Amino acid sequence: MATVELKNIRKAWATAMAVDGLDLTISDGEFVAILGPSGCGKSTTLFMLSGVYLPTSGDILFDGSRVNDVEARHRNVGIVFQSYALYPHMSALQNIMFPLRFQKVPDAETRAREMADLVQVGELLDRRPSELSGGQQQRIALARALVKRPNLLLLDEPLSNLDATLRLTMRAEIRRITHELGVTTILVTHDQLEATTMADRVICMNAGRIEQEGSAEDLYLRPRTLFVAGFIGSPPINLIEGKRPELKLSGIPVQSGLEDSVTIGIRPEMLKAADHGLPATVSYVEPMGRETLTTVDTVIGPLRMLEAVAVPRWRRDEQILLNFDAEDSMVFDTSGKRIDGANVRLLEIPGA
Amino acid sequence: MTRDWNQLAAVSIRDRRMKMAALTLFLVAVSAPIVLPYFWMVMIAFTARTGGADADTLWTACAILVPVTLGYSIAYASLSVRYRAITGAAALILATSLLWFFLGDDLHLNNFRFMINPNIVEDIRGAATAGGQFPWVWNAFGNSLILAGTQTLIVVTVSTLAAYYLSRFSFQGRATFLQSLLVLQAFPAITLVIPIFLIVYWVGLLNTLYAPILVITALELPFFIFIMKGFFDAVPWDIEMSAMTDGASRRQAFWMVVLPQVRVGMIAIGVFAFIKGWEEYVFVTGLRTGNSYWVMSTYLYYVREDVMGVDYGMVAAVSLLYVMPSLILYLFCQKYLTQMTIGGVKG
Repeated sequence: MATVELKNIRKAWATAMAVDGLDLTISDGEFVAILGPSGCGKSTTLFMLSGVYLPTSGDILFDGSRVNDVEARHRNVGIVFQSYALYPHMSALQNIMFPLRFQKVPDAETRAREMADLVQVGELLDRRPSELSGGQQQRIALARALVKRPNLLLLDEPLSNLDATLRLTMRAEIRRITHELGVTTILVTHDQLEATTMADRVICMNAGRIEQEGSAEDLYLRPRTLFVAGFIGSPPINLIEGKRPELKLSGIPVQSGLEDSVTIGIRPEMLKAADHGLPATVSYVEPMGRETLTTVDTVIGPLRMLEAVAVPRWRRDEQILLNFDAEDSMVFDTSGKRIDGANVRLLEIPGA
Repeated sequence: MTRDWNQLAAVSIRDRRMKMAALTLFLVAVSAPIVLPYFWMVMIAFTARTGGADADTLWTACAILVPVTLGYSIAYASLSVRYRAITGAAALILATSLLWFFLGDDLHLNNFRFMINPNIVEDIRGAATAGGQFPWVWNAFGNSLILAGTQTLIVVTVSTLAAYYLSRFSFQGRATFLQSLLVLQAFPAITLVIPIFLIVYWVGLLNTLYAPILVITALELPFFIFIMKGFFDAVPWDIEMSAMTDGASRRQAFWMVVLPQVRVGMIAIGVFAFIKGWEEYVFVTGLRTGNSYWVMSTYLYYVREDVMGVDYGMVAAVSLLYVMPSLILYLFCQKYLTQMTIGGVKG
């Protein structure tokens, strides 16, 4: 178990900057998710922590000591890869025992079997990885990462190769196991649901930098940047670019030109059908089970509206009026920063 | 309009059988020229008497085997799966018993006497004809084994290590190196005989077995490095990184995790390298000036030379001995060889 600190970490490849000045502190036993789109540098960060990649500059600290120059094999980090990376020529048991071969552990097999029981694959240990299902392979990979009692557990998109139901169970399983062992864990994922459901703290990364870190609801309700607002939330937020005559902006500092170039964000579930408001034509209705997603055409462009009804309320081509509360809207400036306190409301449209 | 489904089904079953029969006939026709020489080689080796091959036995054998094969292929196409195995066994028994009945008397092992007689030239031409220059076949066989085996060992070791480096590391001139591997393969090796002869002469390895071993190895390496690189490319980075975070050093990761994944490739290039060395003729004759060493290819060449008077039976028998190691290797490694494609993508 360890505290992990990253100080101004950079990683430059020949052509691009993968990680560009990352500062991060993770306390002992914490479960942190790094969330971001592919290519944002999150996996690179993970591999720098594991010691496979060397940072171009900056310091990595485990429990306050600099480990930049410590080889991967001596860092005592467990890692679960997206592909699971099980060794195909070894049985499940040999896979789990592999890390112990380098530690001269006397009761290696007992420990491996205990770990296998913890991840509930005790009866599969004689099989080869190719004879195991995705979920089973995943559990073996997790057991292999944990068997050496690592300071730090790294999970690289561990659930993305599993089907939806299995993903649900494995999410809870991983949480249970890491909690039981109290191991500091970093999960890297592009799936917001994975990040928000499993982690104590979510770190949203984009283009090699941290956009925002905080709890899941912080990121959802109070995104600090346009990127976070757009990346978090499914179905995605409605974004309206530029000032529209139908919308009244308020709370924007008096600066010339800023009003015209803002981006307005409204979450789909914040849009409501109302007695008065923006005229809209229903163009597409998608029942999603508990909710219904309706896409409408308006003068300010197509909008998505999410309603908590199982039975669709609208038909295609139906004319409806939309409205939303001003405090549910977000306003972002040209650089993508959220303008604190700024919001927007609909103007009454004469004749509508 | 109603369709007569039964009639349509009958038509497609008939069509399928016709196509199957046509295909089988075609395949038999094109395989015959490939199979026949080997068949004749075996027949001659076991039946020919001193002085020449007995054409009658060949034609008798063909007259038995061709109708049986044709009959079997027709039966195969027209019968259901259940009867195919039975027909196959029947055809085999029929062919064997017919062959035994008509040719049983002609079978003998006399052509293989070179295997137990250290001085076969004297046996054929009388004492001291060839001045003891001609070796016992096991001498040549052993040399061939040394040549092919050593060469295989070097090729597999060097190309595995080189290919791993090429696959995993980037370095100055990597692209050029890879291109030149392919370009090197484009030159016919025979054009190099004279320069290589001169080099070998200056180095002082002329008339030693080292010369062909080194030369063949050098000529084969580019291609095999390229093939092995394909196999390494197919091994995911993940398992290597995983091994290193599990506590392995880079070298341990290579030995314990990466190398087992390219085992198929190593076996495949090993077999091909061995066969290349086993069958080599040009550089073994080209790099010796006298009869300093004998290998199987030169042995076979001299057996069919006038020196001994052409004894076709013995030529065939030597040939049979000569193809055996390759054949056995192929039989044992078949499943690995079929997995080898350039680029190492398993088919």
